[in-house]
Amino acid sequence: MTNIFLGFIILLLLSYLLLAGLFLGRIIENFAEGQDPIAFLNSFLIFYFLTEFLYRYFIQNLPVVDLESLLHLPVGKRKIMHLLLIRSFISPLNIIALLIFLPFSIQSIAPEFGSMGALGWIGSLVLTSWILHWFMLWFKQRFEDSTLGLIIVMAVLVLGGGSTYLGWYNLDELTQPIFDLAVNSILPLAVLSLVFVGSYWLCFRYHVDNAYLEDLSSDNDSQVRGQSIGFLSRFGLAGELANVEWKLIVRHKKSRTYLMLSAFFLLYGLIFYTNPAYASEDGGISFIFVFVGVFITGIFMIQYGQLFLSWNSGSFDFYLNRKDGVEQLVRGKYLLFISISVICFLASVPYVYFGWQILLVHIATFLFNIGVLIHVIIYLALWKPKPMDLNKGAMFNYEGVGAAQWLMVIPMMILPYVIYLPFALLINDFAGLAALAIFGLFGILFYKKLSALNIRRVYQNKYEISSSFRQEL
Amino acid sequence: MITVTNLKKQYKEAVVLDVESLEIPKGECFGLVGNNGAGKTTLFRIMLDLVRPTSGEVSLEGHVVNQGEEWKKFTGAYLDEHMLLSYLTPDEYFETLRKIHGLSEADLQVHLEKFAELFNDEVRGKKKYIRDLSKGNLKKVGIAAALLGNPEVVFLDEPFENLDPSSQIRLKKLISKEKDEFKRTFLISSHDLNHVTEICDRIVLLEKGKIIRDLSEKSEMMRELEAYFVG
Repeated sequence: MTNIFLGFIILLLLSYLLLAGLFLGRIIENFAEGQDPIAFLNSFLIFYFLTEFLYRYFIQNLPVVDLESLLHLPVGKRKIMHLLLIRSFISPLNIIALLIFLPFSIQSIAPEFGSMGALGWIGSLVLTSWILHWFMLWFKQRFEDSTLGLIIVMAVLVLGGGSTYLGWYNLDELTQPIFDLAVNSILPLAVLSLVFVGSYWLCFRYHVDNAYLEDLSSDNDSQVRGQSIGFLSRFGLAGELANVEWKLIVRHKKSRTYLMLSAFFLLYGLIFYTNPAYASEDGGISFIFVFVGVFITGIFMIQYGQLFLSWNSGSFDFYLNRKDGVEQLVRGKYLLFISISVICFLASVPYVYFGWQILLVHIATFLFNIGVLIHVIIYLALWKPKPMDLNKGAMFNYEGVGAAQWLMVIPMMILPYVIYLPFALLINDFAGLAALAIFGLFGILFYKKLSALNIRRVYQNKYEISSSFRQEL
Repeated sequence: MITVTNLKKQYKEAVVLDVESLEIPKGECFGLVGNNGAGKTTLFRIMLDLVRPTSGEVSLEGHVVNQGEEWKKFTGAYLDEHMLLSYLTPDEYFETLRKIHGLSEADLQVHLEKFAELFNDEVRGKKKYIRDLSKGNLKKVGIAAALLGNPEVVFLDEPFENLDPSSQIRLKKLISKEKDEFKRTFLISSHDLNHVTEICDRIVLLEKGKIIRDLSEKSEMMRELEAYFVG
């Protein structure tokens, strides 16, 4: 079900790209009137490839995950590596460049420089993209999950974006000549072909030399990280389990990524609050700000909470086997969600710089999140939780995600507006915010009752959850 | 006293467990044997309220297991890794359990001292997560955790599996000692006939979910079991 859905999304995205490719010529004409569109595009390509570098870093999967099951077979290591690498090459990522730029090369370059020119140009582009593919395999394997790798990626981002913006130097001047030459001469294509073969060879050598399980294991936690948070211990057993959950988050790759995303989404407001399209002269509030506020103060519970019990799929029987274990587990999670929400709220206070009404939005949505939305998310997430492997990355990893996790986004987006809009339209925006806050406060008052509902729901389904986590169903 | 009455587990048409009546007196070491798929683990899981029985009930010391959680206070169990928090180090795990059971640090020390020989310096004080331990050491952590908190009843599924020979012998000694000293009831499932017959007072043989032998005579056990398993 999820796979079909994903496949559909991928197809859709690819067709958008093709569409963008078909209109690329016209888009450029609009942007760069009077300039030569080919030269303009060529000067822009370096940014395209920088972007590609970034999304490849986040999305591209390493082929070696299957190595363990293959290494013992009576097939040569080199052959296995060739096979895995070639298989990794068959990916939607590798046709993106083709989809975007092939139409342009046919529409604009072929008429001017002939089919050889068009071929040389598109060939150079696609080869550059593919060289990035092999480079990224090496790069990710080399710096897998290390801070150094992330620093390098950040550096690329800053250098790429900053340099041209701040006028240190022009990156585009570095690469433009190559692609300009490509329409006239076969030389860039030939050179890039050699680099392509070379990059494959380097990638291959590195993987063969490191084809031992201990070198390629994705998570070599030699040191123990993540200590208890003293503050949580004040809340008895639930606090203790919140601490255990915190260790779970810090010690698994997937949950770590979710946590980092939360920090990242704190910046989300910069996109909206600075956008003049949402500013209003009368001191009111753009209605989209409610959504932004819900997101900023509640991103962790929204994201992490979606997979509520799946995080504990490896140790659910542990909790079942203790007296009140499940109840304390759920309470511990509540505690953790609320604590992180408080931190996000406090961290978002500086947004008051963009207007005091934004602080009001954040207060109202924060109260609403911890009073109401938290219970809704957990309630929905308890619909057939699925087991998942926490050591896999989070990007495009939909393990544990079922229909419920897709569908629950809808009530989460609509619910704040169901409360906000009637008051905002009938009275004014601030009445809408007050309504959100009051609902939130009521939720907080009835916290015990509401959380008991969710706890009861876990107990009612405990046999099904437990056996699904043991993968018996 | 543990009683099982008319217990039945059915997946659609297939009956995987059908135990009419079983009584285990306090302080007994109860061994459960049978080939793969005989229903040993299912029986333990139902007795621990991890799997819902189709009909019938289990009661531990008068508490019906699927009607309340009181019994969990005096019951310890280690069936598989799902009963561990594998992303903690063994020390953190024992510390968490200490808080759950409300024990003092000295209590925990005394408890873990008993396992010093079994742990063989490979478990405590190591900066290593439980999930990264070898299978044998993982099992030792689980068993030590099951015995924590002075339980009256202890369930162990295949406790000897993956242990090296010295550890197997140490574990046998440990179980016998715990049973004699504290009158703990042990329920042990195992494929290792030598070990179970040695430490258990009574052995029940399961076949396709049914009890087909109930042996209490030490001298008879081994012969009967060998006769059955050799076929």
